[in-house]
Amino acid sequence: MIRAHLLQHRLLDIESLRIGGGHTAIIGPNGSGKTTFLKLCAGIERPAQGDLTLSGRAPRDVTVGWVGEVPDNNFVFRTVADEVASGLWFQRRPAETIESTVERALSETGTTHLRARSTHTLSGGEKVLVACAAAIALSPEVLILDETDTHLDRKAADTLETVIQGRPAPAILQCTQDMDTASRADRVVYFEDGRPRYIGTPEEVFCYLQETEMYPPLWRIAACI
Amino acid sequence: MEDCSMHLTAQDLTLVRDGWSLAADGIFCEGVHIVTGPVGSGKTTLASALAGIFAPASGQIVRNGITRLTLSMQFPEYHVTGFLVRDEVRSWDLPVEETLNTAGLGGRGDAKTLTLSRGELKRLHLTCLFRGAWDAVILDEPFAGLDCREKHRVCAAIEEKNHPVTIIFTHEQAVLPAADFIWEIVDHALVCRGSVPDAIPAWTGAPRYLTHALAAGACPENIRLRDAEEALCRMHA
Repeated sequence: MIRAHLLQHRLLDIESLRIGGGHTAIIGPNGSGKTTFLKLCAGIERPAQGDLTLSGRAPRDVTVGWVGEVPDNNFVFRTVADEVASGLWFQRRPAETIESTVERALSETGTTHLRARSTHTLSGGEKVLVACAAAIALSPEVLILDETDTHLDRKAADTLETVIQGRPAPAILQCTQDMDTASRADRVVYFEDGRPRYIGTPEEVFCYLQETEMYPPLWRIAACI
Repeated sequence: MEDCSMHLTAQDLTLVRDGWSLAADGIFCEGVHIVTGPVGSGKTTLASALAGIFAPASGQIVRNGITRLTLSMQFPEYHVTGFLVRDEVRSWDLPVEETLNTAGLGGRGDAKTLTLSRGELKRLHLTCLFRGAWDAVILDEPFAGLDCREKHRVCAAIEEKNHPVTIIFTHEQAVLPAADFIWEIVDHALVCRGSVPDAIPAWTGAPRYLTHALAAGACPENIRLRDAEEALCRMHA
Protein backbone atom coordinates (compact mmCIF):
# COMPACT_ATOMS: atom_id res chain seq x y z
CA MET A 1 0.00 0.00 0.00
CA ILE A 2 2.62 2.56 1.12
CA ARG A 3 6.12 2.21 -0.24
CA ALA A 4 9.14 4.39 0.42
CA HIS A 5 12.45 3.87 -1.36
CA LEU A 6 15.69 5.76 -0.70
CA LEU A 7 13.61 8.51 0.85
CA GLN A 8 15.39 11.55 2.25
CA HIS A 9 13.51 14.58 3.48
CA ARG A 10 14.42 16.87 6.37
CA LEU A 11 15.55 14.44 9.09
CA LEU A 12 13.94 11.41 7.40
CA ASP A 13 16.36 8.88 5.93
CA ILE A 14 14.48 5.74 4.90
CA GLU A 15 16.19 3.17 2.72
CA SER A 16 13.15 0.99 2.22
CA LEU A 17 9.74 0.80 3.89
CA ARG A 18 6.54 -1.07 3.06
CA ILE A 19 3.31 -0.61 5.02
CA GLY A 20 0.28 -2.71 4.11
CA GLY A 21 -3.39 -1.74 4.38
CA GLY A 22 -5.39 -1.61 7.59
CA HIS A 23 -4.75 0.42 10.71
CA THR A 24 -1.12 1.38 11.30
CA ALA A 25 0.01 3.20 14.43
CA ILE A 26 3.06 5.43 14.04
CA ILE A 27 4.88 5.92 17.33
CA GLY A 28 8.22 7.27 18.52
CA PRO A 29 9.91 10.07 20.47
CA ASN A 30 9.30 13.75 19.75
CA GLY A 31 11.33 14.92 16.77
CA SER A 32 11.83 11.41 15.35
CA GLY A 33 10.21 12.27 12.00
CA LYS A 34 6.66 10.94 12.49
CA THR A 35 4.82 14.09 11.40
CA THR A 36 7.23 14.67 8.51
CA PHE A 37 6.57 11.14 7.28
CA LEU A 38 2.79 11.64 7.54
CA LYS A 39 2.99 14.95 5.65
CA LEU A 40 4.81 13.18 2.81
CA CYS A 41 2.15 10.44 2.77
CA ALA A 42 -0.57 13.11 2.63
CA GLY A 43 1.16 14.96 -0.19
CA ILE A 44 1.41 18.09 1.95
CA GLU A 45 5.16 18.01 1.31
CA ARG A 46 7.15 16.39 -1.50
CA PRO A 47 10.27 14.34 -0.75
CA ALA A 48 13.59 16.08 -1.31
CA GLN A 49 14.98 12.78 -2.61
CA GLY A 50 13.66 9.29 -3.26
CA ASP A 51 10.18 7.90 -3.82
CA LEU A 52 7.03 7.55 -1.79
CA THR A 53 3.90 6.01 -3.31
CA LEU A 54 0.44 5.06 -2.07
CA SER A 55 -0.96 2.10 -4.03
CA GLY A 56 1.60 2.80 -6.70
CA ARG A 57 0.57 6.44 -7.13
CA ALA A 58 1.96 9.75 -6.00
CA PRO A 59 0.27 10.89 -2.75
CA ARG A 60 -1.26 13.93 -4.49
CA ASP A 61 -3.10 11.59 -6.89
CA VAL A 62 -4.77 9.76 -4.00
CA THR A 63 -7.79 10.89 -1.97
CA VAL A 64 -6.29 11.45 1.46
CA GLY A 65 -8.15 12.47 4.60
CA TRP A 66 -5.84 14.49 6.86
CA VAL A 67 -6.50 15.36 10.48
CA GLY A 68 -3.71 17.27 12.17
CA GLU A 69 -3.11 17.88 15.86
CA VAL A 70 -4.16 21.53 15.46
CA PRO A 71 -7.14 21.47 13.07
CA ASP A 72 -7.62 25.26 13.32
CA ASN A 73 -4.78 25.56 10.85
CA ASN A 74 -6.90 23.85 8.18
CA PHE A 75 -10.35 25.28 8.94
CA VAL A 76 -11.58 27.50 6.12
CA PHE A 77 -15.31 27.93 6.66
CA ARG A 78 -17.26 29.55 9.46
CA THR A 79 -19.72 26.86 10.54
CA VAL A 80 -19.08 23.23 11.36
CA ALA A 81 -21.54 21.97 8.71
CA ASP A 82 -19.84 24.04 5.99
CA GLU A 83 -16.40 22.90 7.10
CA VAL A 84 -17.40 19.24 6.94
CA ALA A 85 -19.01 19.80 3.50
CA SER A 86 -16.09 21.78 2.07
CA GLY A 87 -14.08 18.88 0.66
CA LEU A 88 -17.20 17.56 -1.07
CA TRP A 89 -17.92 20.98 -2.59
CA PHE A 90 -14.39 21.11 -3.96
CA GLN A 91 -15.01 17.68 -5.51
CA ARG A 92 -18.23 19.08 -7.11
CA ARG A 93 -20.47 16.38 -5.63
CA PRO A 94 -24.27 16.75 -6.06
CA ALA A 95 -25.91 18.86 -3.35
CA GLU A 96 -28.23 16.08 -2.11
CA THR A 97 -25.28 13.70 -1.76
CA ILE A 98 -23.31 16.31 0.15
CA GLU A 99 -26.10 16.89 2.65
CA SER A 100 -26.56 13.22 3.50
CA THR A 101 -22.80 12.58 3.60
CA VAL A 102 -22.24 15.49 5.97
CA GLU A 103 -25.02 14.31 8.28
CA ARG A 104 -23.55 10.80 8.36
CA ALA A 105 -20.03 12.09 9.09
CA LEU A 106 -21.33 14.33 11.89
CA SER A 107 -23.30 11.44 13.35
CA GLU A 108 -20.35 9.02 13.21
CA THR A 109 -18.10 11.46 15.03
CA GLY A 110 -20.72 12.44 17.61
CA THR A 111 -20.71 16.07 16.47
CA THR A 112 -24.25 16.48 15.11
CA HIS A 113 -25.06 18.92 17.91
CA LEU A 114 -22.21 21.17 16.75
CA ARG A 115 -23.56 21.52 13.18
CA ALA A 116 -24.46 25.23 13.40
CA ARG A 117 -21.57 26.27 15.66
CA SER A 118 -18.80 28.55 14.50
CA THR A 119 -15.59 26.55 14.12
CA HIS A 120 -13.73 29.25 16.05
CA THR A 121 -15.79 28.71 19.20
CA LEU A 122 -15.12 24.98 19.45
CA SER A 123 -12.88 23.52 22.14
CA GLY A 124 -9.63 21.86 21.10
CA GLY A 125 -11.18 18.40 21.31
CA GLU A 126 -14.31 19.41 19.41
CA LYS A 127 -12.15 20.82 16.62
CA VAL A 128 -10.41 17.47 16.28
CA LEU A 129 -13.71 15.59 15.98
CA VAL A 130 -15.03 18.09 13.40
CA ALA A 131 -11.80 17.81 11.38
CA CYS A 132 -12.19 14.04 11.54
CA ALA A 133 -15.78 14.35 10.25
CA ALA A 134 -14.53 16.51 7.35
CA ALA A 135 -11.86 13.94 6.54
CA ILE A 136 -14.09 10.86 6.58
CA ALA A 137 -16.81 12.66 4.57
CA LEU A 138 -14.41 12.39 1.63
CA SER A 139 -14.36 8.56 1.88
CA PRO A 140 -10.58 8.75 1.65
CA GLU A 141 -8.41 5.94 0.36
CA VAL A 142 -5.95 6.80 3.10
CA LEU A 143 -6.96 8.40 6.39
CA ILE A 144 -4.09 10.10 8.21
CA LEU A 145 -4.32 11.26 11.81
CA ASP A 146 -1.43 13.14 13.37
CA GLU A 147 -1.74 12.92 17.17
CA THR A 148 -5.41 13.79 16.89
CA ASP A 149 -6.14 11.99 20.15
CA THR A 150 -3.85 14.20 22.19
CA HIS A 151 -6.59 16.77 22.95
CA LEU A 152 -9.42 14.28 23.47
CA ASP A 153 -10.94 13.03 26.68
CA ARG A 154 -11.43 9.33 27.18
CA LYS A 155 -14.98 9.24 25.77
CA ALA A 156 -14.12 11.36 22.73
CA ALA A 157 -11.00 9.24 22.13
CA ASP A 158 -13.20 6.13 22.23
CA THR A 159 -15.55 7.78 19.71
CA LEU A 160 -12.61 8.54 17.45
CA GLU A 161 -11.35 4.98 17.74
CA THR A 162 -14.80 3.61 16.88
CA VAL A 163 -14.91 5.87 13.83
CA ILE A 164 -11.46 4.72 12.75
CA GLN A 165 -12.18 1.02 13.27
CA GLY A 166 -15.46 1.33 11.35
CA ARG A 167 -13.92 3.06 8.35
CA PRO A 168 -13.81 1.34 4.99
CA ALA A 169 -10.62 3.31 4.18
CA PRO A 170 -8.07 0.86 2.76
CA ALA A 171 -5.35 2.37 4.93
CA ILE A 172 -5.29 4.36 8.14
CA LEU A 173 -2.08 5.92 9.46
CA GLN A 174 -2.41 7.17 12.99
CA CYS A 175 0.41 8.88 14.83
CA THR A 176 -0.27 8.65 18.56
CA GLN A 177 1.44 9.03 21.92
CA ASP A 178 -1.22 6.81 23.51
CA MET A 179 0.39 3.39 23.55
CA ASP A 180 -2.88 1.69 24.54
CA THR A 181 -4.36 3.01 21.29
CA ALA A 182 -1.29 1.87 19.37
CA SER A 183 -1.58 -1.59 20.92
CA ARG A 184 -4.98 -2.04 19.25
CA ALA A 185 -3.76 -1.23 15.71
CA ASP A 186 -3.09 -3.90 13.09
CA ARG A 187 0.56 -2.94 12.99
CA VAL A 188 2.95 -0.51 14.67
CA VAL A 189 5.87 1.41 13.18
CA TYR A 190 8.34 2.83 15.73
CA PHE A 191 10.34 5.81 14.45
CA GLU A 192 13.65 6.90 15.90
CA ASP A 193 16.10 9.50 14.53
CA GLY A 194 14.27 9.78 11.22
CA ARG A 195 14.16 6.04 10.55
CA PRO A 196 11.55 3.32 11.13
CA ARG A 197 13.38 1.20 13.69
CA TYR A 198 10.74 -1.45 14.44
CA ILE A 199 7.81 -2.57 12.27
CA GLY A 200 5.41 -5.37 13.08
CA THR A 201 2.35 -6.35 15.04
CA PRO A 202 1.84 -4.52 18.35
CA GLU A 203 3.08 -7.63 20.19
CA GLU A 204 6.28 -7.73 18.12
CA VAL A 205 7.08 -4.02 18.39
CA PHE A 206 6.22 -3.53 22.06
CA CYS A 207 8.30 -6.57 22.91
CA TYR A 208 11.32 -4.36 22.11
CA LEU A 209 9.91 -1.52 24.21
CA GLN A 210 8.94 -3.53 27.29
CA GLU A 211 11.56 -1.90 29.52
CA THR A 212 10.69 1.63 28.40
CA GLU A 213 7.96 4.15 29.19
CA MET A 214 6.43 3.35 25.79
CA TYR A 215 5.01 -0.03 26.81
CA PRO A 216 1.17 0.12 26.85
CA PRO A 217 -0.12 0.86 30.40
CA LEU A 218 -3.07 -1.51 30.07
CA TRP A 219 -0.72 -4.35 29.18
CA ARG A 220 1.24 -3.64 32.37
CA ILE A 221 -1.97 -3.66 34.41
CA ALA A 222 -3.19 -6.85 32.72
CA ALA A 223 0.08 -8.53 33.69
CA CYS A 224 -0.58 -7.67 37.35
CA ILE A 225 -4.15 -8.99 37.45
CA MET B 1 -11.36 21.21 51.52
CA GLU B 2 -8.85 21.75 54.30
CA ASP B 3 -7.67 25.20 55.40
CA CYS B 4 -4.54 26.52 53.81
CA SER B 5 -2.61 29.77 53.97
CA MET B 6 -1.64 30.09 50.30
CA HIS B 7 -4.46 29.41 47.89
CA LEU B 8 -6.25 30.36 44.71
CA THR B 9 -10.00 30.56 45.16
CA ALA B 10 -12.83 30.52 42.64
CA GLN B 11 -15.53 32.35 44.57
CA ASP B 12 -19.10 31.83 43.25
CA LEU B 13 -17.67 32.04 39.76
CA THR B 14 -19.82 31.97 36.64
CA LEU B 15 -18.09 31.82 33.28
CA VAL B 16 -20.20 32.54 30.21
CA ARG B 17 -19.31 32.25 26.53
CA ASP B 18 -21.56 31.91 23.46
CA GLY B 19 -24.57 30.56 25.34
CA TRP B 20 -22.41 28.18 27.36
CA SER B 21 -21.74 28.58 31.07
CA LEU B 22 -19.70 27.05 33.86
CA ALA B 23 -20.10 27.46 37.62
CA ALA B 24 -17.04 27.13 39.85
CA ASP B 25 -16.73 27.50 43.56
CA GLY B 26 -13.71 26.06 45.32
CA ILE B 27 -10.35 26.56 46.93
CA PHE B 28 -7.12 25.42 45.31
CA CYS B 29 -4.78 24.96 48.29
CA GLU B 30 -1.10 24.17 48.25
CA GLY B 31 -0.47 20.91 46.43
CA VAL B 32 -1.00 19.30 43.05
CA HIS B 33 -4.55 19.50 41.70
CA ILE B 34 -5.81 17.46 38.73
CA VAL B 35 -8.84 18.83 36.88
CA THR B 36 -10.57 16.67 34.26
CA GLY B 37 -13.73 17.02 32.21
CA PRO B 38 -15.15 16.15 28.81
CA VAL B 39 -14.14 17.84 25.59
CA GLY B 40 -15.76 21.29 25.50
CA SER B 41 -16.65 21.30 29.20
CA GLY B 42 -14.70 24.50 29.81
CA LYS B 43 -11.34 23.40 31.19
CA THR B 44 -9.37 25.91 29.14
CA THR B 45 -11.83 28.69 29.96
CA LEU B 46 -11.60 27.90 33.68
CA ALA B 47 -7.80 27.78 33.46
CA SER B 48 -7.84 31.17 31.75
CA ALA B 49 -10.20 32.59 34.38
CA LEU B 50 -8.03 31.32 37.25
CA ALA B 51 -5.04 32.93 35.54
CA GLY B 52 -6.91 36.21 35.26
CA ILE B 53 -7.10 36.43 31.46
CA PHE B 54 -10.79 35.54 31.10
CA ALA B 55 -13.26 37.79 32.90
CA PRO B 56 -16.03 35.96 34.80
CA ALA B 57 -19.65 36.99 34.29
CA SER B 58 -20.03 36.94 38.07
CA GLY B 59 -18.00 36.01 41.13
CA GLN B 60 -14.29 36.51 41.57
CA ILE B 61 -10.88 34.89 41.73
CA VAL B 62 -9.11 35.44 45.04
CA ARG B 63 -5.35 35.05 45.32
CA ASN B 64 -4.31 34.52 48.90
CA GLY B 65 -0.55 34.73 49.36
CA ILE B 66 -0.05 34.23 45.62
CA THR B 67 1.80 37.00 43.87
CA ARG B 68 3.58 35.12 41.09
CA LEU B 69 1.21 33.06 38.95
CA THR B 70 1.67 31.67 35.47
CA LEU B 71 -0.45 29.86 32.89
CA SER B 72 0.94 27.33 30.44
CA MET B 73 -1.39 27.29 27.46
CA GLN B 74 -2.35 24.16 25.60
CA PHE B 75 -0.56 25.16 22.40
CA PRO B 76 3.09 26.12 23.03
CA GLU B 77 3.22 28.30 19.89
CA TYR B 78 1.12 30.86 21.75
CA HIS B 79 4.02 31.46 24.15
CA VAL B 80 6.77 31.95 21.58
CA THR B 81 8.40 35.38 21.54
CA GLY B 82 11.92 34.57 20.31
CA PHE B 83 12.74 34.04 16.62
CA LEU B 84 15.60 31.68 17.44
CA VAL B 85 15.52 29.03 20.13
CA ARG B 86 18.28 30.84 22.08
CA ASP B 87 16.21 34.08 21.93
CA GLU B 88 13.24 32.19 23.30
CA VAL B 89 15.28 30.89 26.27
CA ARG B 90 16.73 34.36 26.91
CA SER B 91 13.21 35.80 26.97
CA TRP B 92 12.70 33.74 30.14
CA ASP B 93 15.95 35.19 31.54
CA LEU B 94 17.54 31.75 31.67
CA PRO B 95 21.03 30.47 30.68
CA VAL B 96 20.78 29.20 27.11
CA GLU B 97 22.95 26.08 26.92
CA GLU B 98 22.08 24.75 30.36
CA THR B 99 18.37 25.17 29.73
CA LEU B 100 18.56 23.58 26.29
CA ASN B 101 20.46 20.61 27.68
CA THR B 102 17.80 20.16 30.34
CA ALA B 103 15.13 20.24 27.64
CA GLY B 104 17.03 17.66 25.58
CA LEU B 105 17.63 20.27 22.90
CA GLY B 106 21.37 20.78 23.32
CA GLY B 107 22.99 22.40 20.28
CA ARG B 108 19.66 23.62 18.84
CA GLY B 109 20.03 27.23 20.00
CA ASP B 110 20.38 28.60 16.47
CA ALA B 111 17.30 26.81 15.14
CA LYS B 112 14.23 28.91 14.38
CA THR B 113 11.88 28.40 17.29
CA LEU B 114 8.85 27.58 15.17
CA THR B 115 10.76 24.91 13.22
CA LEU B 116 10.90 22.75 16.34
CA SER B 117 8.38 19.91 16.35
CA ARG B 118 5.29 20.48 18.47
CA GLY B 119 6.64 18.12 21.15
CA GLU B 120 10.07 19.77 21.18
CA LEU B 121 8.48 23.19 21.51
CA LYS B 122 6.32 21.99 24.39
CA ARG B 123 9.43 20.53 26.06
CA LEU B 124 11.28 23.83 25.70
CA HIS B 125 8.35 25.84 27.01
CA LEU B 126 7.75 23.64 30.06
CA THR B 127 11.45 23.46 30.90
CA CYS B 128 11.61 27.27 30.93
CA LEU B 129 8.39 27.61 32.87
CA PHE B 130 9.32 25.12 35.59
CA ARG B 131 12.54 27.01 36.31
CA GLY B 132 10.60 30.09 37.35
CA ALA B 133 9.86 30.97 40.98
CA TRP B 134 6.07 30.79 40.79
CA ASP B 135 3.64 30.65 43.68
CA ALA B 136 1.01 29.07 41.45
CA VAL B 137 1.34 27.26 38.15
CA ILE B 138 -1.69 26.52 35.97
CA LEU B 139 -1.00 23.94 33.29
CA ASP B 140 -3.51 23.47 30.46
CA GLU B 141 -2.88 20.06 28.86
CA PRO B 142 0.82 19.95 29.74
CA PHE B 143 1.23 16.42 28.36
CA ALA B 144 -0.33 17.07 24.94
CA GLY B 145 2.17 16.43 22.18
CA LEU B 146 4.87 15.01 24.45
CA ASP B 147 6.29 11.53 24.03
CA CYS B 148 6.06 9.10 26.94
CA ARG B 149 9.59 9.76 28.18
CA GLU B 150 9.01 13.50 28.27
CA LYS B 151 5.67 13.06 30.03
CA HIS B 152 7.53 11.27 32.80
CA ARG B 153 10.06 14.12 32.99
CA VAL B 154 7.23 16.64 33.32
CA CYS B 155 5.68 14.52 36.08
CA ALA B 156 9.02 14.38 37.91
CA ALA B 157 9.29 18.19 37.69
CA ILE B 158 5.76 18.61 39.06
CA GLU B 159 6.42 16.14 41.87
CA GLU B 160 9.43 18.18 43.01
CA LYS B 161 6.79 20.68 44.20
CA ASN B 162 8.92 23.75 43.59
CA HIS B 163 5.71 25.71 43.12
CA PRO B 164 3.28 25.69 46.08
CA VAL B 165 0.06 25.48 44.02
CA THR B 166 0.00 23.45 40.80
CA ILE B 167 -3.27 23.05 38.90
CA ILE B 168 -3.26 20.64 35.96
CA PHE B 169 -6.08 20.56 33.42
CA THR B 170 -5.64 17.34 31.47
CA HIS B 171 -7.08 14.50 29.39
CA GLU B 172 -3.95 12.40 29.85
CA GLN B 173 -4.69 8.68 30.06
CA ALA B 174 -1.27 7.12 30.59
CA VAL B 175 1.23 9.27 32.48
CA LEU B 176 0.18 11.40 35.43
CA PRO B 177 2.07 12.81 38.43
CA ALA B 178 1.25 12.01 42.03
CA ALA B 179 -1.61 14.33 42.94
CA ASP B 180 -3.08 15.74 46.13
CA PHE B 181 -6.58 16.73 44.96
CA ILE B 182 -8.94 15.72 42.15
CA TRP B 183 -11.53 17.95 40.52
CA GLU B 184 -13.94 17.32 37.68
CA ILE B 185 -16.20 19.43 35.51
CA VAL B 186 -19.61 17.76 35.47
CA ASP B 187 -22.82 19.21 34.03
CA HIS B 188 -21.45 22.76 33.70
CA ALA B 189 -20.07 22.85 37.25
CA LEU B 190 -16.68 22.33 38.86
CA VAL B 191 -16.86 19.51 41.40
CA CYS B 192 -14.18 18.70 43.97
CA ARG B 193 -13.80 14.92 44.36
CA GLY B 194 -11.56 15.48 47.39
CA SER B 195 -8.05 14.53 48.35
CA VAL B 196 -6.09 11.56 47.05
CA PRO B 197 -6.42 8.60 47.61
CA ASP B 198 -9.99 8.88 48.96
CA ALA B 199 -11.14 10.73 45.86
CA ILE B 200 -9.96 8.08 43.39
CA PRO B 201 -13.03 5.78 43.36
CA ALA B 202 -15.38 8.74 42.68
CA TRP B 203 -13.23 10.07 39.83
CA THR B 204 -15.27 9.47 36.66
CA GLY B 205 -12.51 10.84 34.43
CA ALA B 206 -9.85 8.51 35.83
CA PRO B 207 -7.42 7.01 33.30
CA ARG B 208 -8.18 3.52 32.06
CA TYR B 209 -5.32 1.85 33.95
CA LEU B 210 -6.74 3.20 37.21
CA THR B 211 -10.33 2.09 36.50
CA HIS B 212 -9.04 -1.37 35.51
CA ALA B 213 -7.12 -1.60 38.79
CA LEU B 214 -10.14 -0.42 40.79
CA ALA B 215 -12.36 -2.92 39.00
CA ALA B 216 -9.94 -5.67 40.00
CA GLY B 217 -10.37 -4.64 43.65
CA ALA B 218 -7.13 -2.73 44.10
CA CYS B 219 -6.85 0.43 46.20
CA PRO B 220 -4.09 2.59 44.65
CA GLU B 221 -2.44 5.10 46.98
CA ASN B 222 -2.16 7.66 44.21
CA ILE B 223 -3.06 8.08 40.56
CA ARG B 224 0.12 7.04 38.74
CA LEU B 225 0.46 3.84 36.73
CA ARG B 226 2.97 2.51 39.23
CA ASP B 227 0.52 3.18 42.08
CA ALA B 228 -2.04 0.99 40.27
CA GLU B 229 0.59 -1.71 39.64
CA GLU B 230 1.75 -1.67 43.25
CA ALA B 231 -1.83 -1.87 44.53
CA LEU B 232 -2.47 -4.91 42.34
CA CYS B 233 0.79 -6.52 43.49
CA ARG B 234 -0.20 -5.95 47.14
CA MET B 235 -3.43 -7.83 46.49
CA HIS B 236 -1.48 -10.87 45.30
CA ALA B 237 1.19 -10.65 48.02
